[in-house]
Amino acid sequence: MMRRLIQALLFLLVAAGLYVLPRFFSMDYYLHIFVMSEIYAVLALSLALIVGFTGQVSMGHAAFYGMGAYASALLSIRLGCSFWVAFWLSGLFAGCVSYVIGRLVLRLRGHVLAITTAFFCVLVTVVMNNWIAVTNGPMGITGIPRPSPLNLGLVRLVFESRVHYYYLGLFFVAGVLFILHRLVRSRLGDAMIAIRENEELATSLGIDAMKIKLLAFTLGGAIAGLAGSFYAHYILFISPVTFSMNESINMLVMIIFGGMSTLFGPILGAVALTVLPEFLRMAGEMRLVIYGVALICFIIWLPEGLWGSLRNVLLSMNEAKRMEE
Amino acid sequence: MTTVFFQQVLNGVILGCIYALIALGLSLVFGILEMTNFAHGEFYMLGAFMALFSMTHLGVPFFVALLIAMLGMALVSALIERMVFRPIVGKPLINSMLLSFGLSTALANLALFFFKADPRKITSGLAGVRFRFWGLFLTGERLAILILSIILVLGLTWFIQRTRMGKAMRAVAQDRVAAQLAGVNVKRVYSVTFAISGALAAAAGTMVGAMFFVSPEMGFTVVLKSFVIVILAGAGRIRGVILAAVLIGLVESLGGGFISYAYKDAYPFLLLVLLFIFKPEGLMGGA
Repeated sequence: MMRRLIQALLFLLVAAGLYVLPRFFSMDYYLHIFVMSEIYAVLALSLALIVGFTGQVSMGHAAFYGMGAYASALLSIRLGCSFWVAFWLSGLFAGCVSYVIGRLVLRLRGHVLAITTAFFCVLVTVVMNNWIAVTNGPMGITGIPRPSPLNLGLVRLVFESRVHYYYLGLFFVAGVLFILHRLVRSRLGDAMIAIRENEELATSLGIDAMKIKLLAFTLGGAIAGLAGSFYAHYILFISPVTFSMNESINMLVMIIFGGMSTLFGPILGAVALTVLPEFLRMAGEMRLVIYGVALICFIIWLPEGLWGSLRNVLLSMNEAKRMEE
Repeated sequence: MTTVFFQQVLNGVILGCIYALIALGLSLVFGILEMTNFAHGEFYMLGAFMALFSMTHLGVPFFVALLIAMLGMALVSALIERMVFRPIVGKPLINSMLLSFGLSTALANLALFFFKADPRKITSGLAGVRFRFWGLFLTGERLAILILSIILVLGLTWFIQRTRMGKAMRAVAQDRVAAQLAGVNVKRVYSVTFAISGALAAAAGTMVGAMFFVSPEMGFTVVLKSFVIVILAGAGRIRGVILAAVLIGLVESLGGGFISYAYKDAYPFLLLVLLFIFKPEGLMGGA
């Protein structure tokens, strides 16, 4: 009872904090970082479902993100769809593609799966660059409309300023978090973890491994597509560079940074890796060198991620306390 | 038309030889350390720069520069293995993937910082030599690539089949723990594996630098294609890697020449997908 109360209080506190955040950081620059953190939080969460919970390393996540962005942009420009329709349709589209790709590649394991999905990502970038009639090639697509105003009863979001994107993004992250929380706590979530730990054993217990893996991959891809749509209607310009394989790797770094077998970890990683590189801007040309070296040091010394390592420290402290008693 | 076709076939085979040199090193590391090394493309790039600088700054002839690059990269990659890769042997694959990716980013951007982006060419002195037969062209550089790759592959095969170290490498690839129990110095095997892989990459980089050009970002697409070759080849057989490399070279050369040049980077992936649909056990049969 007490525990639930504390949890509820904590939740309210976080919600209130997130609500007032833009009041303190009202500069456009900060708001942009916040919105990008939200988009990356969604991407990292969806990737964590595939890599962290189900144990299938995918390097092609940026492809689904990109397909969602392109689908949404084209739907709204060519067919005049409103953002609120294009958003769901682009998620559906990315989900369908990831179902088909999943069918093809998910019987592969480990390194082979990772490289194959990486190549899928390259393939999607090549198509975006060369199918000029549809994607406008390397020039990208400009003139993507902003979402039409939204009446939520209490508040009216008009999407002229970044604050409104920030609030919509909060709903987006919360929704994805809620769905994934329910999913990983269910029997399906247990099945996913079973597959991650030992696929043969899971199969022998009657878990249809292919079906579960496919579910995680499809859902992850669909959510990435939704994030792509949000991105397209926020930045209002998309080009193939944004959805290259480097972006997939960036997402993997996020989930390993925060710790990938929790739902809190990916969010932490996404925010940290959106905010931290901003400090590296001062380094100029050496920026990516520092990034690379930092990544190496991180993997060697904190292989379980920030959250995982912190939890290990806390656990061992607890253990020591119990020993004393 | 047929002449053009055979010319493309010839070019594809030469391209395949280069891919084979790169992919062999990758496949060794993959088989023995169970790691995917994304920085392998940067070994190839650094090797090319080493050859370039030993020619421009030390004034040595081309083949000496090639040797210097191979030895130098063998040393550098063994050092990198010791400092960067060894701490994470046996960790989940995502760790080694991201680690080597960080290494690749750091090395490529260091090279960009010091060597600048403008592409440079290694002057091998072989460009003037041209062979003409049955209406086909073969430059001296391309012939040199063909001969060099044959020598290196034969040398590698001999090393792995006949020497004690080669035997140890095969043992570790089969079962690390059992090899260790049998008295194999696993750490030395790791160093030697990386050294060989770096030397092969340097040879490939130097040859590409002579044929096309050298630049800091030359490594990245090559490494992905080489991974496809390793996957196509199945479990680390030298013969499989060479076959797959030549196949990828041919597909790229013929596809680029006759279908569409813009999509040439997509062909290896399509090949991979076809393989998974029709022959999931790998090109060379059962893994």
